Amino acid sequence: MSTQPGRKPGELVFALLCCGFGVVAFWQAFGISGFGGLTTPGVFPMLATGTMVVAGLFIIVGAARRGSERSGEGTMSRFMREVLPLRHCIMIALMLAYLVLLPQLGFVVASALFLFATFQYLWRRNPLLTLLLAGLSLGAIYVVFRIVFQVVLPQGTILGWTI
Amino acid sequence: MVEALGNFAIVWLDPWLLFLTAAGTMAGIYIGAIPGLSVTMATSILISFTFKWPVNDALALIAGVFMGGVYGGSRTAILLNIPGAPSAIATAIEGYPMARRGEAGEAIGLTTVMSVFGGFIGILALALFAPVISDFAILFQSRDYLLLGLIGILLVGTLSGESFAKGAFAGALGVLIGMVGLDPMTAEGRFTFDTITLMGGIPYVAAMIGFFGVAEALVQLHNLGLPVVKQKIDRIIPRLSDVKKHFWLAMRSSGIGTVIGALPGTGGDIAALLAYDHAKRSTKNPEVPFGEGAKEGLVAPEAANNAAVGGAFIPMLTLGIPGDAVTAVIIGALFIHGLKPGPLLLVETPHLFWFVVGSLTLANVFLLIFGLTGIKVFTKIVECPRAILLPLIIVLSAVGTYAIQNNPVDIYWMLLFGVVGYFMKVYGFQVGPVILGVILGPMMDANYRRAMLGARGDVGTFLWDFVSHPISLVLSLAFVAMLLSQTPLWRLVTSRRHGPAT
Repeated sequence: MSTQPGRKPGELVFALLCCGFGVVAFWQAFGISGFGGLTTPGVFPMLATGTMVVAGLFIIVGAARRGSERSGEGTMSRFMREVLPLRHCIMIALMLAYLVLLPQLGFVVASALFLFATFQYLWRRNPLLTLLLAGLSLGAIYVVFRIVFQVVLPQGTILGWTI
Repeated sequence: MVEALGNFAIVWLDPWLLFLTAAGTMAGIYIGAIPGLSVTMATSILISFTFKWPVNDALALIAGVFMGGVYGGSRTAILLNIPGAPSAIATAIEGYPMARRGEAGEAIGLTTVMSVFGGFIGILALALFAPVISDFAILFQSRDYLLLGLIGILLVGTLSGESFAKGAFAGALGVLIGMVGLDPMTAEGRFTFDTITLMGGIPYVAAMIGFFGVAEALVQLHNLGLPVVKQKIDRIIPRLSDVKKHFWLAMRSSGIGTVIGALPGTGGDIAALLAYDHAKRSTKNPEVPFGEGAKEGLVAPEAANNAAVGGAFIPMLTLGIPGDAVTAVIIGALFIHGLKPGPLLLVETPHLFWFVVGSLTLANVFLLIFGLTGIKVFTKIVECPRAILLPLIIVLSAVGTYAIQNNPVDIYWMLLFGVVGYFMKVYGFQVGPVILGVILGPMMDANYRRAMLGARGDVGTFLWDFVSHPISLVLSLAFVAMLLSQTPLWRLVTSRRHGPAT
């Protein structure tokens, strides 16, 4: 990985975002106690965020220097292929849906839905087989964590009765 | 001494602890072996489940997972040419060609024995040197801890990453995450935006699981359809002559592993590569050339990466500075259990130290047993498709994050860190320094301010202190050397000395 010829699609944008985030964070850190003294709560956050800004500048320069790979393909389509394919977008969306539903539907229902949907999407077998697999793995997780480890799992506000 | 032995033996005599260590080691081997599951990921999820347990139970389980996991990566490296963990990369170079010749069983046997050997050397070093370092560490001042923290974060960033700037950025980002919440000294809010949710800070378990669990799962999503190769296993117990022949190499590699493990921030992966390099240089006439299945190339990295486990515990228990990413997670576990890793740990809670040594030793014994058995079942299980594994990792991560505080907000943090961590990994950032930053940031902040208060806020005195005390001077020099070695000037000097670069 150390001898990359060109930069990855979106790398320069990410570097700019990193640096930009550093600047915003530095401004926030400055807001804590300003340059009032050397032992104020804001000093160390300013050092950390200042490091982020400086490192961010170096990262931008490094990414810009390497130049992008010249190929017939546009940067956007390479970005969609190498960095954020549709599969990743769908998985992240499914994860977000799962996390939003988790406190409402409770662990058992939300996880069952999530496991079934993701197994079916990634594995692409007979839905019955997927259902069986989702059920079995959920059962195993439930027994290990709820019964053996006695972990408190989200109960759900809408379906409070589903354990 | 008798007391130490007693604490050492607790884990050996209590059936429940014996079971936990055994289960942990067994689970660790599989976790380490299954590509896509990492020991760091497993430990961070595990901590969220075990924080309500008695500290001994939690530590026994974690010690088992750590020991087993570091070893487990070698199995898939040999059988499938997929290193289950980064520390098994060198193992794959030599192990897979052996497997292709039908010598997989022999390779696994030798690997197991040498891993266990390395493990014992690392633990021995921990037992012998930790008390000495701990006595010495009591002399450390606030500024020394500040320097140690900085060195630790920078080492992870430079040795394991592709660019110094990216390592420094990741470390600083971690420090920033660690700073969120109320300032422990003045109770002023930092980065809280006046919201109650942020006043308590960002839970570091959410950050750990996000960066190591979710982010890694997203990275693994790229390699859903890797082919699976079947293997036949025959001889597993290695020949005594092989073990004898490689004894000194294993000894030297274990030494390398222990030292690298003990350096803050560097762990088994770097130890394994350095030991592999050492084996390559020191073996004059290998029976089989390196790269085509040389046993020396198996012995060295495997002895070294397991030796690094014991080594990594040394700075964690004596200085409160984690030796690698896994100990960074374990240090989080100790904080959750109300313990304070640092020079006073051995003074205040010596029983804990000897308990850790005992459970690591026991885990190593179990490693020998499990390492030489059950390989046939094993090959079936590691063939589990990633399409099934990845959703399970997400569910476990979510439940683990939720379990810490029963707060749904934490799991949103986890997802956010997971997605950010994914992009960071894709663009060549290391996520290890982030976690080190989160753990060490608040400690460095407190020590900086203490040191500055000690210097009465005078920058001159503050800086003079860094060079006028012997310990501080050594650490300062190390820190400056690390910074300089990343500048173009240094590269110019070294390239002059070694002649023009080819």
